[in-house]
Amino acid sequence: MTGVHYSLQLPNGLTVVAEHLPAVRSAAFQFIVPAGAITDPEGYEGSATVLEGLSYRGAADRDSRQLSDALDALGIQRGGGAELEYVTFGGALLADDLHRALEIYADILRRPHLPPDQFPAEQALALQKLERLEDSPAEKLFVNLRRAYYPGSYGRTSLGTEDGLRALTPGELLRDHSRRYVPRGAILAVAGRFVWSELSDTIHRALGDWAGEAPVQPAADPTGRIAYRHIPQETNQEQIGLMYPTVPIGHPEYYDMRMGIEILSGGMAARLFTEVREKRGLCYTVRAMQHTVKGAGAVIGYAGTTPERCQETLDVLIAEIQRLQEGVEDEELARARTGVLSSLVMSAEATRSRAPSIARDQYLLGQVRTMDEIRAAVEAVTTESIQQHLRRHPARDFTVVTLGPVELEVNA
Amino acid sequence: MKFQKAVLDNGLTVIGEQNAAALSMACGYFVRTGARDETPELSGVSHFLEHMLFKGTERRTPEVVNREFDEMGADYNAFTGEEYTVYYGSVLPEHQPRLLDLLSDMMRPSLRVEDFDMEKNVILEEIALYKDRPQFLVIDEARSTYYKGHPLGQSVLGTTESVSALARDQMYEYWNRRYAPNNLLLTLAGNFDWEEALGQVRAATKEWASADSPRHHPAFDPAAAVKVVANEKVNRAHLAFVSPGVPAQSDLRIVADMVSDIIGGGEGSRLYWELIDPGLADAVRLSHDEEDGCGAYFGYASCDPENAQLVLNKVRAVLLKAMDGGLTEEEIEKTKRKAASALVLHDETPRGRLFHVGFDWQYRHEYRPLDDVIDQYLAVTKADVDALLGRRPFDILTVIGLGPLTELA
Repeated sequence: MTGVHYSLQLPNGLTVVAEHLPAVRSAAFQFIVPAGAITDPEGYEGSATVLEGLSYRGAADRDSRQLSDALDALGIQRGGGAELEYVTFGGALLADDLHRALEIYADILRRPHLPPDQFPAEQALALQKLERLEDSPAEKLFVNLRRAYYPGSYGRTSLGTEDGLRALTPGELLRDHSRRYVPRGAILAVAGRFVWSELSDTIHRALGDWAGEAPVQPAADPTGRIAYRHIPQETNQEQIGLMYPTVPIGHPEYYDMRMGIEILSGGMAARLFTEVREKRGLCYTVRAMQHTVKGAGAVIGYAGTTPERCQETLDVLIAEIQRLQEGVEDEELARARTGVLSSLVMSAEATRSRAPSIARDQYLLGQVRTMDEIRAAVEAVTTESIQQHLRRHPARDFTVVTLGPVELEVNA
Repeated sequence: MKFQKAVLDNGLTVIGEQNAAALSMACGYFVRTGARDETPELSGVSHFLEHMLFKGTERRTPEVVNREFDEMGADYNAFTGEEYTVYYGSVLPEHQPRLLDLLSDMMRPSLRVEDFDMEKNVILEEIALYKDRPQFLVIDEARSTYYKGHPLGQSVLGTTESVSALARDQMYEYWNRRYAPNNLLLTLAGNFDWEEALGQVRAATKEWASADSPRHHPAFDPAAAVKVVANEKVNRAHLAFVSPGVPAQSDLRIVADMVSDIIGGGEGSRLYWELIDPGLADAVRLSHDEEDGCGAYFGYASCDPENAQLVLNKVRAVLLKAMDGGLTEEEIEKTKRKAASALVLHDETPRGRLFHVGFDWQYRHEYRPLDDVIDQYLAVTKADVDALLGRRPFDILTVIGLGPLTELA
């Protein structure tokens, strides 16, 4: 039922992971390049985004329009973009065209023109996307929540800063490209229908002589985080976000933490939805989720609600998160387990969800977790192990950020 | 793949596309009701009712409904549009009977007053949430302006006032008319047992009484308009534009879909090269919305407020050029490739397939295997595209500009 895994380590440092899904007609692929916001050069925050955009404006023997036409001719459903820790390139398409697509993407990564005359347009786009945040209150909240929680590079956003974007020049981008678009630390993930020996040949041919060493990656460190910040904005709803530390992925208690979050916020019968929305009618959206980065873990809680109800919403949100430490029921754990395992099986039906998923595993853990491995780890979690985990890692030291018309009190 | 169909004595239609190789099964009730079927005093009731279907039945409390979905590990949800309300779930095949029992029972909700009053708060919060999203508001405004006087212009969410004023008995009366078995379609997809499903649904719905659930199709005569919704609290200019398209029942809908993809289907489209490539707008798109008896092209762009007029002029120029000069063979071939891969990827899962099978039946009373649909796209010629553009759809353009703007021409 589960896909067959392959992996390959090229001498230049590029790691390839692949999952063969026999029942599909498609293939999806994703490149991870260690060139995200955390390694943007100091003073040039936003370089990751501009560089990613400019990469599509011509590569090897194709100009911008020819490159776009070549991707469309393969029917690629394009994906990718600059993120916090890395930049992704990739997409999904009919399996027969996978090899041609990989060859074009090798050009995009290795031989982009980065044309100076198109730099102003790309810079203007990045500035507009940053400005657009002002019209998206929830996204603006999350950007500010992470900034308050991580004082260092992990508090950045791939959108960059206005100063950083304005400071960029075509020359700076060229330097940055040669520094960060390198095989060491890069990952290629493929999921779907393929013949491994042929895929491996194509990868060796297109990427084998790529060279370069990865820049130093900063560590995620929340030391010195802010306890509460309010951002006044004339909105209809107050946006409420909180964040607190937990164990990272790969930690022996990771699945205890994961199932705890599932019990809090996994389905409509989970605690937050039941207590905040169903019983009290306080809001439309309320949830808790993991915020996992390399080497560090945090939990994020979120709710959006009108000003009259926002203090109560924050109080109930914190109280419910802390109540988890008092213990969980067998039935709650059973539901959480079924939910996780069922979505795990169903994810194997869609190549588009598998490629990013195995790419991220490789980035965070240095290996891809098999479905059997995840299943065994999830099944090993007990109500007792969750409680022990929460005793050692209780929900505390919150960073709270609110955005909207009302400043709140944090009663934690 | 095997297609199955049955119409029960009470008028309920059940269809399914079986795929024995799938790992999961999906099923959903497609209710032929939405914002267009509401009277002004009931504005928002279809969507509110959708929430209330999760609030329990004679056999189940609200907590039990949510808990059962979670106990099956179901991937489930519901949505309400202008024309349909859909409730669906996908599960591993062993949970088929339980999922069918739950979804079928939900179609006969208790609508308890205390649950109604509590859920009203949640709906009002949802309305407030969208008020903070200009990207959404501008499309809503464009729809109501374009379809002025026609039921398709009615809001799905309703307003704070209309929802606040709704009473439980008004909702019950609406439900009674609109959720009759003859106005419902049950669709299944993936790895399911047809005979077992049919037997179970026949037993579960045998008491359901059919009713008269008419839908009105008044004449519609679109007119061009330009309107500014000035809002200094918004930072960007959000532009929406609407032109007449073709109905869901028309053979031309696939051609219209391809035309909108070539003009504004994202990276590589004509609007992309005109607006995104030079950095004039940070977002632009055009899509074709096929509806019951009507259809429209919907477009959206966002840009710096001082560029709003320039962006609008360029959008108009792109649309005019497409009508005057047509689209090229190369563009048509590219869009075919994109459509084929998009369809294959979308329909890879039973959950994705469910919506295509269900809506094909709801709108056209037809079943089309995926490969047939792909062939329909591949069969479109330049002559078909030219003929559609020859009707000059974009001569009628409704434009809304929302943001810190004073005027648009």
